[in-house]
Amino acid sequence: MMRVAVVDDEPLARRGVIARLAAHPDIVLAGEYADGRQALEGLGGEPVDLVFVDVQMPTLDGLSMLAALPADRQPLSILLTAHDRFALRAFELRAIDYLLKPIDDERFAEALARARQLHRWRVPGADASGAEEVAPDADDAPAPARRFSVRVGRRLTFVEADEVEWIQADGDYAVLHARGQRHLLRESLQRLATRLDPLRFLRVHRSAIVRIDCVAELQALPNRDALLRLRDGTPLRASRTYIDALLAHFQPPA
Amino acid sequence: MIHPSAEPPFWLPLLAGLPIGLCLVVMALPALGHGHATAYRTLYLLAFLAWLPPLAALQRGLWRRRLPIALTAGILLLATYAMSVFNNLLGDLMALSAGWSRADEFRFAGLFNGLESCWLALIAFCAMHAVIAYYVELKHEKQQREQAHLLARDAELRALRYQLHPHFLFNTLNAISTLVAEERGHDARRMISQLAGFLRASLEGGGQHEVSVAEEIALTDAYLEIEKARLGERLQLAWRIDAELLHAAMPYLLLQPLVENAIRHGIAPRATPGRLDIRISRRAERLMLQLDNDMDATATPAAPRDAAVGLRNVAERLARLYPDDHDFHAGPRPDGHGYRVSLDLPFRVATTAPQAQTAA
Repeated sequence: MMRVAVVDDEPLARRGVIARLAAHPDIVLAGEYADGRQALEGLGGEPVDLVFVDVQMPTLDGLSMLAALPADRQPLSILLTAHDRFALRAFELRAIDYLLKPIDDERFAEALARARQLHRWRVPGADASGAEEVAPDADDAPAPARRFSVRVGRRLTFVEADEVEWIQADGDYAVLHARGQRHLLRESLQRLATRLDPLRFLRVHRSAIVRIDCVAELQALPNRDALLRLRDGTPLRASRTYIDALLAHFQPPA
Repeated sequence: MIHPSAEPPFWLPLLAGLPIGLCLVVMALPALGHGHATAYRTLYLLAFLAWLPPLAALQRGLWRRRLPIALTAGILLLATYAMSVFNNLLGDLMALSAGWSRADEFRFAGLFNGLESCWLALIAFCAMHAVIAYYVELKHEKQQREQAHLLARDAELRALRYQLHPHFLFNTLNAISTLVAEERGHDARRMISQLAGFLRASLEGGGQHEVSVAEEIALTDAYLEIEKARLGERLQLAWRIDAELLHAAMPYLLLQPLVENAIRHGIAPRATPGRLDIRISRRAERLMLQLDNDMDATATPAAPRDAAVGLRNVAERLARLYPDDHDFHAGPRPDGHGYRVSLDLPFRVATTAPQAQTAA
């Protein structure tokens, strides 16, 4: 159970966040504020666990509002902004993530998952309900799939998991790239991610999973994302959410 | 009025005047020890040094008024002459007060004799000052010219960069509208955030004309994500990026319009799947980009007009960014199957690129 507040001066923008939160049963909407001053008063009186804050607001902007909250009342925060340029300040303020408007559903879910994880760490025993059903953990996932059945013309054939180099989302399908061939799989990337060996495959973007040993280069981008180059010369974008996990694989063993 | 930074600092001509003072000393050396020469020469040297600041100020004042050179020279000659006469007067006064000469021996005409060394030194100082001031002004003008040139180039590049194809924007909005009509809210939201990602990258993009290859690929990929959703299996895309090129510099928003061009004219108009190959490689100190599509070149007799506009835009930007140091070709492939755009640029490391990591 996580108590969440939403702070944005635009009613439609608040509703957008609240509508997306409704899909997560472990979230309780504890407050809705139209500007920084109201939020400062409200959050001072009734603390919450997580707050979604718009950066640009009249009277008191989101960053100043967060800075003005007393240290013991600091909730986890996810910033909402139309511009990328607040990214650095967001991290200075220890916001756990920032979402660009218009909000991307997958990025929203990722940010929320991150908040859940940190919340569990902050408040042990707070994860009694809900969370697991929404975001299945590796624990209750089945053993990694060894191979995938794909259709080639009218024939059914198999692709060994070991031969898959990377997987690309294509709407509700996934495209397996193996030995220069593309195979369409009738399964979403989201679901597929839970069936892969987490030690060998890594989600790098909302639309891509890559086999770690296929990554040849990683180039950081100014917006904190990165671009990967696979051994076969394919470039892949990696979003900042997954960079730490990726970098961990790039560090030489100490 | 002259811009303040177009003038040398006041101390500079004074410093340059010191060697002239040194010359006076050297010239005086043979005469030292004869009579009262040491005292006279010391007095003249001190007087010369004392005259430098007011003389420099006078010359600067004239320079600022932008008087004709002949008039300025005339005024300065007169002023320095008067100063020299005054120096002689000082010398005579010193002689009188020291009792080396008597008042009844004083000859008024003597004041105007033996001016050469004093006057010459002051004139030499003025000449040096003029040269310094002229040089500094010239440098300043050159800087301003370069600045203006850079600004003009910047504005041109900016204008060229923003020639995004409105077709793409409207087609994407239309696709989103279809998704909404079909109540595929999730797909619609995904396409909206993809479009936002691409617009953000192309409109905000740091204000630089060059970015790293990695940044340009990321931007192009954001665009391709939308095209893939629109065209589905009709777009068959293959990238091939060679090792250690991600940090190289290339023009911002250059690859994306080329890819857009290839898709609009090579793939979108036909019903069967079309292939697009994008290759980035390095040959010695050159960065090579090549786009191939398998469009049947004979099917479209001449490249449509707006395709030509897109390519001309790229050609103009390259001409401004790398005058005489690039190669750009667009035309049917040598084997006759499809269309090829290739360009080569100087290989340089991008200033915006953070450290790259290479897998072991």
